[in-house]
Parts: sequence; C-alpha cells; structure tokens
Amino acid sequence: MCNIENIIDSMLKKILLILCVLLLVACEDTSSETSVLETSEIHFAIAQAPLNLDPRYATDAASERVNRLIYQPLVDFDTASKPAPILASWQVVNNNNYRFTLIKNRALFHNQTPLTAADVKATYDSLLQLKDSPHTAEFANIESIQVEDENTILFSLKKVDTNFPAKLIIGILPKDLIQQGHDFSHHPVGNGPLKFVSWQNKLILQRIKDRQIISLQEAKDPTVRVLKLLRGEADLIQGDLPPELVKYLESKPEISVKTSVGANFSYLGLNMQDPLLKNLKVRQALAHAIDRQAIIDKVMVKNSRIAGAILPPEHWAGNVDLKPYDYNPMLAKKLLLEAGVKLPLKLVYKTSTDAQRVRFATILQAQMAVAGIALGIRSLDWGTFFEDVKQGNFQLFGLTWVGIKTPEIYAKAFGSQSLPPNGFNRGRYADAELDKLLANEDWQAATARIHAQLPYIPLWYEGQFAAFNKDINNYSPKPDGDWDDLAIITSSATISNHAH
Amino acid sequence: MVKRIVSFCIVIFGVLLLTFLLIHLVPGDPVEVMLGESASTADRMQLREDLGLNQPLYQQFGSYIAKLAHGDLGQSIHTKIPIIELIKTRYPATLKLAALSLIIGLVIGIPLGIYAALKANHWQDFVVTIISVRFSAMPAFWLGPMLMLVFAVWLGWLPVSGMESNSSIILPAVTLGFGLSAILTRMTRTSLLEALNEDFIRTARAKGLSEKTVIIRHALRAALLPIITIVGLQTGSLLAGTVITETIFSWDGIGRLLVESIEKRDYPVTQACVLVVALSYVLVNLCTDILYRFADPRVKFSHD
Repeated sequence: MCNIENIIDSMLKKILLILCVLLLVACEDTSSETSVLETSEIHFAIAQAPLNLDPRYATDAASERVNRLIYQPLVDFDTASKPAPILASWQVVNNNNYRFTLIKNRALFHNQTPLTAADVKATYDSLLQLKDSPHTAEFANIESIQVEDENTILFSLKKVDTNFPAKLIIGILPKDLIQQGHDFSHHPVGNGPLKFVSWQNKLILQRIKDRQIISLQEAKDPTVRVLKLLRGEADLIQGDLPPELVKYLESKPEISVKTSVGANFSYLGLNMQDPLLKNLKVRQALAHAIDRQAIIDKVMVKNSRIAGAILPPEHWAGNVDLKPYDYNPMLAKKLLLEAGVKLPLKLVYKTSTDAQRVRFATILQAQMAVAGIALGIRSLDWGTFFEDVKQGNFQLFGLTWVGIKTPEIYAKAFGSQSLPPNGFNRGRYADAELDKLLANEDWQAATARIHAQLPYIPLWYEGQFAAFNKDINNYSPKPDGDWDDLAIITSSATISNHAH
Repeated sequence: MVKRIVSFCIVIFGVLLLTFLLIHLVPGDPVEVMLGESASTADRMQLREDLGLNQPLYQQFGSYIAKLAHGDLGQSIHTKIPIIELIKTRYPATLKLAALSLIIGLVIGIPLGIYAALKANHWQDFVVTIISVRFSAMPAFWLGPMLMLVFAVWLGWLPVSGMESNSSIILPAVTLGFGLSAILTRMTRTSLLEALNEDFIRTARAKGLSEKTVIIRHALRAALLPIITIVGLQTGSLLAGTVITETIFSWDGIGRLLVESIEKRDYPVTQACVLVVALSYVLVNLCTDILYRFADPRVKFSHD
C-alpha cells in the first residue's frame, strides 16, 4: 500500500505542477492583457459582427450601421425622417429627372482622393450592373446617370418617382477603386468620419478628425457582453440585452445606462389566406387579447412604447390618430364567438430561437389563453423561420421592421402587387381600397385603413439603450439603433492617456 | 492500408453527398438570401442560372465535386470571402482549443480516475465521483459564464472572451476540459477497477512485481482501450467545433462558422465545414485504431 501512496503522491504533485504552470502562464499574460486595456482604443462589444462592408451588398443591420460611419451617401434622413442632403442637394428638373449638386466642403476619400460626380456615377452604375446585389432592384427605375460637371450629376428615371432622393442612401465609393475591382467588402474606402484600419478578430476603425481608434468586437451572448463591460474589456454596449440585465447594469455605479425611444416596429404577422384569420373579427380578437402595456412594463427596456403603424408618430408620414387596441380579453372572446369560432381557437405562432422572442411568445400564449385562444409556439432557427414566413407557411409570426424610413414600406408590405416573390407582403393581404390609397400616397388614410383591417397586429417600438463605463462621453442610442455617435464619442481615459 | 484508404474515400463521398442533399432539402434558397425580397423574378432566374442552381441536382453535385477536386471550395455568399481562407483561419483556432482542452481533460481526468480506482469505496473515491458527476452535469453555457465571472470579473486574472491574447484560450479550454475530465475520470476508474480484478494482476503481484509496475504497466495498460475509445470520440467532437463554448467565448472556430453558415443559409460554407469536420472525424478514428494497436498488441489490422 505504501507504493500506492507514493504513486498517488507523485501523480498529485505532477498535476499540481501543471496547474501551477498554467496559472503562471495566465498571470503572465494577464499583464499583457492589462496593457491592452490601457491603450487608447474605445472598445465596443456588439451582438453581431458586420458581414460585408461594401454598401452595394450590405443588408444586415451591423454592416449598415458601420457603413454609415465609413461612407457618406448623397442623402440621409432628418429627425422627422424626411430626406436631407448629406453629400448633395437636389432639384427636380422635371418629373423624371433629378439634378444633384455636391456640397462644397465635402470630405476626401480615405485614400486622399477627392469625391466628385464621377464617383457618384461610378457607384450607381456599378450597383446597376451587379447581378448578385440585394440593392440593385431598388434602382431599376434609373434610366441613365449623367455627369454634368465635377459637382453636378443628373439622374434620369424611367417613370415618375417622387421619393427618388430618399433612395440615394448608398455610400459613395471611389471610381478608380471600383474600376480596379477593389474588395470593398473587407477593405472599405469611403469618405465618412471613420476610416477602416483592419479586420481580424475585431473590426478596427479610426476617426479622421482626431485619430481616435474604435474597435468593434462581436460577443454574441448578452451575459458575456455585460461581463466584458464590467471587466473593462468593453467600454460600450448597445441594445440586444434582456431588460433584467439592463436593470442590473443600472445598479452598477461604474456603469452609465442611457435609454431613448425606439423606432423599430415589432408586429404579429398574420396569414390572410388562412381560413380563420381571413375573418376580421378573429383578427380584432387577437388585437384585443394582447396586453401590450403589461409586456412593455414587465419585460422590455425603458422607453418602449405601444405601436400603431410601421412608421412611428413622429415620422413625417406617421399617423398620430391611431388608437391602440386596448387589452380586453372578454371582448376578444365575444368577437371570436361572433365570428362563429369554436373555442378554444387553436393557432400556431412561429418565431425565431432568440431568447427574448421566445419569451414574448410564451407571454402572448398566456395572455391569449384568457381570451380563449390556444396559441401553439414553434421556435425555429432563423433561416427556417424566415423562409417559412416568406413562403407563407405560417398562421402567425413575430418580426420587427428595422430602420424603415420611407412610407413606401406600406405599399411593399401590404400592396396587392407586392405578394412574394415580388415584395414583402408576407401576409398575402389584398385590399383594392388600400391599393388606391397607397397609389395616391395618402399615408394617413392608408395607415388608418391598415389599422382598421389588421393585416398584422401592431405591438410596440422597443426602446433603445446603451451602457458604457463612466469614462465615455458624447454617446446616445439612436431610435433605430444606429451607431452614429461613434463619430463623436470620447473617452476621458483616452484623453488622460494622451495627456500623459 | 489500401482497404482503409478506400473506406476513407467512401465515407467522405457519402458525407459530401448526404450534406449536399440535406442542404437542398432544408427550407431556404441562396438566391433569396443574396437578392432579398425586392428582386424581380427575372433577376432571380438570371442569378440562379449564373450560379448553376437551375441545373438538375446530380449535375450540381457533379460540378461541386469537380471544383472540390481542384481545391476550389467556392466563396461565402454573404461575406464573399473564399471559403478556403475562412477554413484556414477558423480551423487552427479550433485545433488549438481542442488540443488544450484535451490536455486539461487528460491531465485531470486520468490521474483522478486512477486515484478513485485505487481508493475504491473509500471517502476519497466518493469525493472524486461527486466532483466528476458535478463537472459532467455542468453545461458549457453555465460553466463558461461562471468561470468568466470568477476569473475575469472578480479576480481579474483572465480576459472574459475574445482571442486577442494567449490567455484568452484558458477559460474556454477549461470549460471544455472540465467536462472531458469528468468523463475520463469515471471511465478510467471503471476500467482500472475491472483490470485490477483480473487474474493477470494477481499473477503479476504473485511474481513479486512492485505495486507501481503492476498498476502502471499491467492494470492501466489493460484499462487503456476503453479510455482511448472515449478520448477518440471526444477529440472528434472537439475538432468538430464546440459551438456553445466557441459562441460564449467569441472564439472564432469551425463550429461557430458552421452554425452561423446554417443560420444564414450560406450553403457553400456549410458544405465546406461539414467536409472538414468529417475529415477530422475520419482521421481521429484512424489515429484511435493505431493507438489501439500500441495499447494492446493483440489488436490487429485486417491485413495482419
């Protein structure tokens, strides 16, 4: 037995030695980690890394948010979401022609070449020629693009489009690099306030005006993003956290949390070809069976608000007169009985696997049960879920419209000409009366009609928030979740480092 | 050896065929992913033709295999990065993490298993058993954040996540290694206990061999086969990428790439990842077979 004890002792000593070595390696490296943390970068931990930094291809929210900082478009939107000049002002020459004049004090491209009308033409010409860009179809109405002089460019359209300037929101690329087939997707060159530095495990950008380095690193898990912020590995996080984590951060003295109202519209999509959901009373019952305010109060971040339409009331085409459907499960039950539905009404709700979406689904299930609706939940991976939505393979689904700025969305989402695959009318809603209103661009009447007919159930505009350490200044979350304030954000830690 | 190579090729071909067919059965379409919902039907058809997606499945599979034979894995639909570049950056990260996790698992699991076997039915054995059961019951999505909280946030010794510094690998490797060590502890204990009750151990002791020699050269060697099997299987899983751990720790490995590609219907990336994973499994199995031979000379390859 003595031998066995010796063997065990020897083994334990070896394990102890190995663990000590591991610990030493860890401690040694921690010092280098600390030194990394002490550099002047501002670290932004994001839930989803950008996929493609070429504005002609980017569609995911992260890429579009970064591209707004790297590139500049001809046009952007003001606080009321009206198109406003960024690189160019415009005049309507006639119904089919728009002349854009570049502003005088425009920034150079990051490769130090000037931005001219030729670059604008090259950008949109290349976009029209691409066969695999999701944005090309948006510009199919362009007949020709003419450079009139270095600062002036004329867009001729095939048919009248009064909203055309609002479409020119693609970042402008340098003509010579387009011709060389430059890889903008991974080495973007624009003339925005931030320039691209590198992109390995994290995306590193540098602000032009003061050379401030800003790094964006993906941390998918919400808890991990919070831990990174607390550890000091991240200076800033924004959005995509469950409300309990936001509340937890609010309780931390070393962390600041800023919230703002949101403009991204969450809704319950309905399949209008479903025999049950065709009935308006059933749709009204669903609208009355949801206690939106309770959900907002209990499981959403501050500044979330009940929605009436895709565009919020402060939008120039928003409708302030839409009254939300009040929570009234008894009325909902009555409407179902009037519709001749046998209770409980069995419906299937499809959603993604996102934890917060599944949580909403279970709450809706519980609330609807009171109104006599038995809601079955199908939580599917994003690809399968979205494909089902596009194919019309659903009864109910939950989605959010992100970053919608123009009222044309109503025609795309509810116009009878926009049934998939020709548009976003995923609920397969067809209403001649609404089509007329949309064609006349009578947005107030159109949104009122949609609100009354309920081809979808409006839910809420989720509030936006950002959490950052106390050193961070000049950063506020935007209603659509954009990261525009990275152009002005400062860190007092950085300033003190520079001073030293 | 020839037989083995032939079976290797058949397995890989089967995996390629199955993956190809399954991907085409899953709802979703690369053209829809690329062009979005606003593209015209004509544009969709044109792109479908350009990508060869309008061809019959067998033709598509044939051209995929032909490209593969030339080392062309294609490019990502979303990022437009050549897939070979993605694999080159992601797979080494997975290899590194798998190797360290395996080392941690082996270093902790086997000695603890031996210790538990030698102290069978004593309090030490119960303690080891309780610890190993605890570790095997801890899912990575819980253990990972707990380790982060303690070692990164409270103690400040290690980074929370990412891949910037060498120490970034420790927490994900420990998360995986602890789970592996728990399995190995229990397997080693059981195998060694069985071996210690065999007649040849009694004979060895009767010959007057030292206890150390009896345990290490005779009992442990006899107990190695099931341990090697488990290590082989676990190594295969580690090389296939450990999605949850890689996601929690922002570790850019092959598992995360595979899952992301499935979510985004980035079919070429999915196919390439599955190919790499299949190759890893086949190679690990081959290595396991060879190790069997070293562990027990009675095990013979078929041609022997």
